[in-house]
Amino acid sequence: MNRSFFEALRSIYPDDRLLTRDVELLPYESDALTAFQTKPGAVALPIDEEEIIDTVRLCHRMKVPFVARGSGTSLSGGSLPIADGLMIGLNRLNRIKKIDPEQRIAVVEPGVINLHITEAVRQYGLYYAPDPSSQSICTIGGNIAFNSGGAHCLKYGMTSNHVLGMKVVLADGVVTQFGSESIEGVGIGPDLVGLFVGSEGLFGIALEITLRLMPTPQLYRTVMAAYDNLGRAGDAVSMVVASGLLPGAMEIMDRLAIKAAEASVGAGYPLDAEALLIVELEGEALQVEAEFAELRGVIEESGAFEIREAKDEDERARIWQGRKSAFSAVGRLSPDYIVQDGVVPRSRLGEALVKIGELKAQYQLDVANVFHAGDGNLHPLILYNGREPGALEKAEALAGEILAMCVDLGGSITGEHGVGMEKREYLPTMFSPVEMEIMRDLRRAIDPEEIANRGKMFPSGEAPALQMRGMHPLERQGVISRE
Amino acid sequence: MTGDVLDSVAELQAFVKGHRRIHVVGKRSKTALHQVEADVALADLSGMTGITEYQPQEYTLTVLAGTGLSEIQAALHEEGQYLPFDPLLPDHGSIGGAVACNLSGSRRHRYGGIRDFILGASVVDGLGRTFRVGGKVVKNAAGFDLSKFLVGSLGQYAIMTELTFKVFPDAPVFQGLRLQYESLDDALNAVFRCNRSTQELDLLDFAPWERGWSLMAGLAGFQDTLPQRAKQFVAMMREETALLDATEVEGDGSLRDPLAGLTGDFLVKVVISPRQIAGFDARVRDIGRRYSAGGNSAWLATDDIGALKKILEAEQLPGLVLRGSVDCPLIGKSPENLLAARVKQVLDPHNKLV
Repeated sequence: MNRSFFEALRSIYPDDRLLTRDVELLPYESDALTAFQTKPGAVALPIDEEEIIDTVRLCHRMKVPFVARGSGTSLSGGSLPIADGLMIGLNRLNRIKKIDPEQRIAVVEPGVINLHITEAVRQYGLYYAPDPSSQSICTIGGNIAFNSGGAHCLKYGMTSNHVLGMKVVLADGVVTQFGSESIEGVGIGPDLVGLFVGSEGLFGIALEITLRLMPTPQLYRTVMAAYDNLGRAGDAVSMVVASGLLPGAMEIMDRLAIKAAEASVGAGYPLDAEALLIVELEGEALQVEAEFAELRGVIEESGAFEIREAKDEDERARIWQGRKSAFSAVGRLSPDYIVQDGVVPRSRLGEALVKIGELKAQYQLDVANVFHAGDGNLHPLILYNGREPGALEKAEALAGEILAMCVDLGGSITGEHGVGMEKREYLPTMFSPVEMEIMRDLRRAIDPEEIANRGKMFPSGEAPALQMRGMHPLERQGVISRE
Repeated sequence: MTGDVLDSVAELQAFVKGHRRIHVVGKRSKTALHQVEADVALADLSGMTGITEYQPQEYTLTVLAGTGLSEIQAALHEEGQYLPFDPLLPDHGSIGGAVACNLSGSRRHRYGGIRDFILGASVVDGLGRTFRVGGKVVKNAAGFDLSKFLVGSLGQYAIMTELTFKVFPDAPVFQGLRLQYESLDDALNAVFRCNRSTQELDLLDFAPWERGWSLMAGLAGFQDTLPQRAKQFVAMMREETALLDATEVEGDGSLRDPLAGLTGDFLVKVVISPRQIAGFDARVRDIGRRYSAGGNSAWLATDDIGALKKILEAEQLPGLVLRGSVDCPLIGKSPENLLAARVKQVLDPHNKLV
């Protein structure tokens, strides 16, 4: 980072919002993918969109790479800094600018925390549907970059399905706006919102976002079923689907995950289960009760040796607390872990789990499985000790084989975490050379200098050093988790 | 107006490479979109039909772009599933046309529009390259999501040859309700009341009717619960809105078809938000119209497209002409073009696709 760039930055930011000293930069060296770290040249903390625009234009003019970062909960290393590049921290742009309950929309800045939106609109009987596990600290800007999901994606979709309009600054400083307050979003003309969401920060920065809100369900009915093998739990999912029901969530945990979660939060999970299935229905009370009667019948037929229904909101919360804490709980059993985010067609879940079992034996590493069974989104958790020479590389090799398997089975290398730094070498396993070339061309057409989040998503980009860091501090506290 | 019927991707690629300017047609159900200059070659995809992969247990469906909507809906119906975005013109249009024009019907109100259900597509771009965008599973966050970008793109960036969608189980029973209001204000207030409610409506449209306004609502679910849910809904509306009368509609009636009863030489889709409707409607009182999806889109039929164009320009609303003879089907507020132009530069640098 040269002096003239710093001087120009200083004309935009006061000293307390331009961090340059080593001690100030330390918290920004990594994100939730703690295996990588590098020091950014500086961190700028804008407080309004004009400062962001000025900063991006400056970076473009002086060809300085930048990374926009929210809370840094990216699990794919998507918000890792670029060595000597600029980190733009967006947390201070955290205003909810408008709530219109009658149109079911909210207009927010990128640094607004996901859960804060639901908290702000709850009084109107509304909520913001995408619920990544880190929703208490992750930001909408980050959710947009990685098209974040959560446990309830099957029915209501991911972040992209809940963004109606955006104002953005492209990587070359051009400011543009698309979409609307209509539920149609763009509606006429190509869906630019759909293109921008999930672009992993490679196109530019979202400045203002119009979000769709959903009515809070009148009723949730949640059932937990225990099985003596994973295959049976997988079959139960197929039976639920075949019944014509559309649950809000269907989750499966394996033995290791159950034990860890139980030890961690005491969710009341049966410890003798090889697999646990959680199914949740939501919606209008009369309809949900009728559906639940049908679901009960399906689950009773599915070979579960224990079935437990949540009788009230507290019991439901306990079931979900166990599920949501499963990864950090398993993580505590081991000094380090890697989590993958592959997707397989739902009907091939059983096959995928058998293959993961074989790989686990082959690599002699423990793997816990927690997954969004409703949409085939696997989260195998690979445990290893990073202090052992070669252990990280071995765990990464296993993770790579799991991703390759997902692609072979007709799925995807990522369901909700994004490609980021972690999976960039695997992107070509999903896309042909022509498709890769087109995506690269698209990136260059929008960001000719390739300064926005350089080194992410595409293989062989610049990379921070791979190092062993262990769990993220917030992960240790159970505030965020890798699911 | 005839075109070359292209039955395969290879034929389409050769066609793109061999022509200077190309326009895509399918079943030609939207006449306004096909008014092209004489030097433009027509690529007719109406022969590219068929369901290539349907896995009910996966909730996914892959079809060739020229496939008729009625064929798709019949196949899904057999398995108790449906396209939740409820494509418009189900009896006449093709799936490629529905996506290219982004045309959803009234039942999109419950779960979302085409952008919410498209998972991936195979395309041929303006350079004649064939490639896939998006994926074939219900969840995927890898790479840039060009499949969503194609929704509403009017075939001007890449030609879709095959499309993959997420599908859902359909509810066993549908109950339509017609609620009468004296004025648009009353009808709009009723829509706002619905939006503040936790009642899950499949459909929420409104249109002028006799001397007042009619609010058309639909509930879907189990036979056992539907009458009581409908009763609850009507009771809420009677208590909290200026409801004059409510009647149940037998069968589908015209409730699910937002174009029912709209006559005029020109048919136009307008993207609007509920709060913009009062001001807009004051200027289109002489035009046949229906507001759909809770007032988030409008369908208008008129003989005077020039007048409607001026109104849309003044109100800064975007419109797409579907039927009638026009120079350009896009009227009113122009779609954003700064970012879209960058995509065009990559996929169709020679501006072949028009």
